[in-house]
Amino acid sequence: MEYLYTIIILVGLYVVLASSFNLVIGYAGLISIAHPVFYAIGAYGSALLARDFGWPAPLAMLAGALLAVAASILLALPSLRVSGDYLLIASIGFQLGLLEIIKNVSWTGGAGGLTNIPAAFAPSTPHWVYAVIVVVVAALSVLAVRAVAHGAYGRAMSALRDDELAFSMLGRNAVAMKVGSFALGCGLAGFAGALYAHQFRYLAPDQFEILQSSAILTMVVVGGLRTTWGPVVGAVMLQALPQAITFMNLPPSLLGPLQGLLFTGLVLVFMFIRPQGLIPAADVWTGAKEAHDVGRR
Amino acid sequence: MKLMSRSIHRRAALAGFSLLALGLAAGAAQAQETFKFGLAMPLSGGQALYGQDQVKAAEWGVAAINAAGGVNGKKLEMVVLDTRADPQVGIQSANRLISVDKTPAFISAWSAVVKAIAPVANDNKVVQLSVGANSAEIAKLGDYTYTTFPLADIDITAVANYSATTLGKKKAAVLYINNETGVVAAQIYRDVFTKAGGQVVAYEAYDPKASDWTGSLLKVRAANPDIIHIQGLVSDTPQVIAQMRQLGLQQPVSSYSAVYNPKLIEQLGKAAEGVIATSLAPGLESKPVADYVERWRKEVGREPNGLPYTQYLYDAPYIMAAVFKSLDDKKLPITGENFRKEMLAIKSFDLPLTGKLVINENHTVNKPVYLMQVKDGKWTQLAVVN
Repeated sequence: MEYLYTIIILVGLYVVLASSFNLVIGYAGLISIAHPVFYAIGAYGSALLARDFGWPAPLAMLAGALLAVAASILLALPSLRVSGDYLLIASIGFQLGLLEIIKNVSWTGGAGGLTNIPAAFAPSTPHWVYAVIVVVVAALSVLAVRAVAHGAYGRAMSALRDDELAFSMLGRNAVAMKVGSFALGCGLAGFAGALYAHQFRYLAPDQFEILQSSAILTMVVVGGLRTTWGPVVGAVMLQALPQAITFMNLPPSLLGPLQGLLFTGLVLVFMFIRPQGLIPAADVWTGAKEAHDVGRR
Repeated sequence: MKLMSRSIHRRAALAGFSLLALGLAAGAAQAQETFKFGLAMPLSGGQALYGQDQVKAAEWGVAAINAAGGVNGKKLEMVVLDTRADPQVGIQSANRLISVDKTPAFISAWSAVVKAIAPVANDNKVVQLSVGANSAEIAKLGDYTYTTFPLADIDITAVANYSATTLGKKKAAVLYINNETGVVAAQIYRDVFTKAGGQVVAYEAYDPKASDWTGSLLKVRAANPDIIHIQGLVSDTPQVIAQMRQLGLQQPVSSYSAVYNPKLIEQLGKAAEGVIATSLAPGLESKPVADYVERWRKEVGREPNGLPYTQYLYDAPYIMAAVFKSLDDKKLPITGENFRKEMLAIKSFDLPLTGKLVINENHTVNKPVYLMQVKDGKWTQLAVVN
C-alpha cells in the first residue's frame, strides 16, 4: 500500500515538524515562524550533498540536520541578544531571503526546483522500511522534546519564558538557553527535511514559504500548545483529514472549496470553542506544584 | 484535567482513523467494470480558477465519450483529485491514484507538480500525462511522464522569430516573472531573437508577488526597444501592460499562451489593442471550438479561463479512451507498462478540439503555433507558425 506508506511518512514528518516547532514556540516561548526554512535547509543540504558530492544518503541527512542547527544558531545569536520580537522579524527575513536565494541560484535548481535527488535506499528495498524509519524518528523526536521540556531543563525553560528578568537574576544564562532550545528544534526540522528529500526526490522553494509556516503553526495550536501530544494529534489530523475528504466521492466543484476551507475553518472553530487546543496544557499552577513536590522529596 | 485530555486525544485519533478506514473500504468496494484513469488538478488555492475550468472540460470530454458508447461498451471513469498546484499535495494525490484507485495512467498539470510526481510514476510504472505544464524539463523526467501539451520552447521560439523576421524588430526588451516558467522562457526568447539577427537591449526579471513594476519598466524605457516581450502570468501581465502604458511606453507588446485570455481584454480595455499572444490550439475559426465556447457561454455563463488549456483537457480523455480501446481489443492486461507501450505504438491521435497530436518517443509533441493579436477588442488570428 504505497499510498498508506506515503501518508504515514508525511504524517510522521509533520509530527517531527510540529513537535519541534512546539519546543521553539511553545516551551521556549521563542516567537519565530521560520520553521519551514530549517526544514528547507535540511532538505536542500542533504539533497545537494548526496546528489552533487556523492555522499551516502544517511551521512548527507545528518549533515543536512547539522546545517540547520548551524543556521539556526547563526540566526538566533544576533537576534536573541537584543530582545524577543527581533527574532520574529529576523526569522521572517531569514526565511524570505534564503528562499529568494534558492530561487535565484542555479545550483539549487532555482525556482523550478531540485530534481534527480538520489533515493535513500535501492529501489528493491520494500517501501514500508522508510515508513518505519520515519515513524521511529517521529517517536524519538516527540520523546526528545518531552524529555527536554519536562526535566529540570524544561522548568528552567518555563521560568525563562515567563519571566526572563527573574531568570537572569538567578544567575542563569538566558541567551545560551534560548539558542540551545532554538537549535534543537530547528535541527529536528532539518532532519525531517532531509528525510523528505530522499523519499520524494523533488524539492521546490515554494514548499517552504509562509503558507507552510502557517500549516505547522495550525497543527501546533489546534493540537495544543505546550503539550507533548498536542502537536502529534494536530499533525495527524491536519494531514489525514484532507485525505479522508477525497474518499467521500464529492464532485470537484465541492471538493476544492472544502479542502481550502478546512484549515481556515478549523482555526476559526478552535479559536472560539477550544482556544487551548485539542489537548490543553497543564496550567502554570500545576507545574509549580509539581516542582514544589519534587523539591520536597 | 489530564484524564479528560487523554480521552479527547483518543477520541480524536479514533475518529480520524475510522474516517480514513471507511474511505479506504469505500474505494476498494468499487468493482473493475470501467476503464479508470486519474486527473490531478488544483481544485483549491490560487490556481483553482484555472484548475476548476480544466476539470470541467475534462468531465465534458468523458461524458461525450460515454454518451457515444464508451470504450468497447464499457464506461470511461475519471477519478478527480486536488493538487493545490503544490508538489507535496500532488505526490499524495498521485500515490492515491496509483495504489487505491489503481489507475494505469493519470493526467496532471503545473510544472512543479508534474516534476514532483515523476519519480512516483517511474517507480510504480504508471503513466503520467502532463496536460498543460510547459517547462522544457518535462521531456526529461523519465520513462513514465509524457506530455500532450507543447513545451515552452515551441511557442516562445515562434513568437521571437516572428518578431525578428516578419515584423522586422531589431531591439527587444524582455520582462519576465522570476519563476521557473518565466526564467526558462525568457532565455529561449533571448537566444532565438538574437540568433534571428535582433538584439535584446533589456532583460529584466520581476518578483512573482510584485504589484508594482515601475523599476523594471523604467529600465526598459531607458533601453528604448522596438518591441517588449512580457513573460508573465495571466494574473499579472495585464497590470504590467497597464503600468507600462501609464509610464508612456508605447511599443508593441508580445507575450505567450497564458495571456491569450478574454481576461486581458476585459481588464485592459483599449490598452490591450495590438498585444500579441500565442495559442497552442485552434481558435474560434474552427467549428468544434466555436461550439465548445458557445456551450461554456450557455451552461456556465462565461468563456473558460485559459481557453486553449481547457481544449487540451477536453481532449485528454480521448487519448485515454483510444489507448484503453486498443489494449482491450488486443486483450492485454490494463497496466501502466502496457498503457505506455500502446500509447507510443498508436503515436498519433485525432482529437476533437486540438486537432492532430503526435506523441514522440523523446517525450515531446509536435503542434503548430497560432499567433493571436487583439484587434478591435477581440482576439484575432495573426499567423500560424508550423
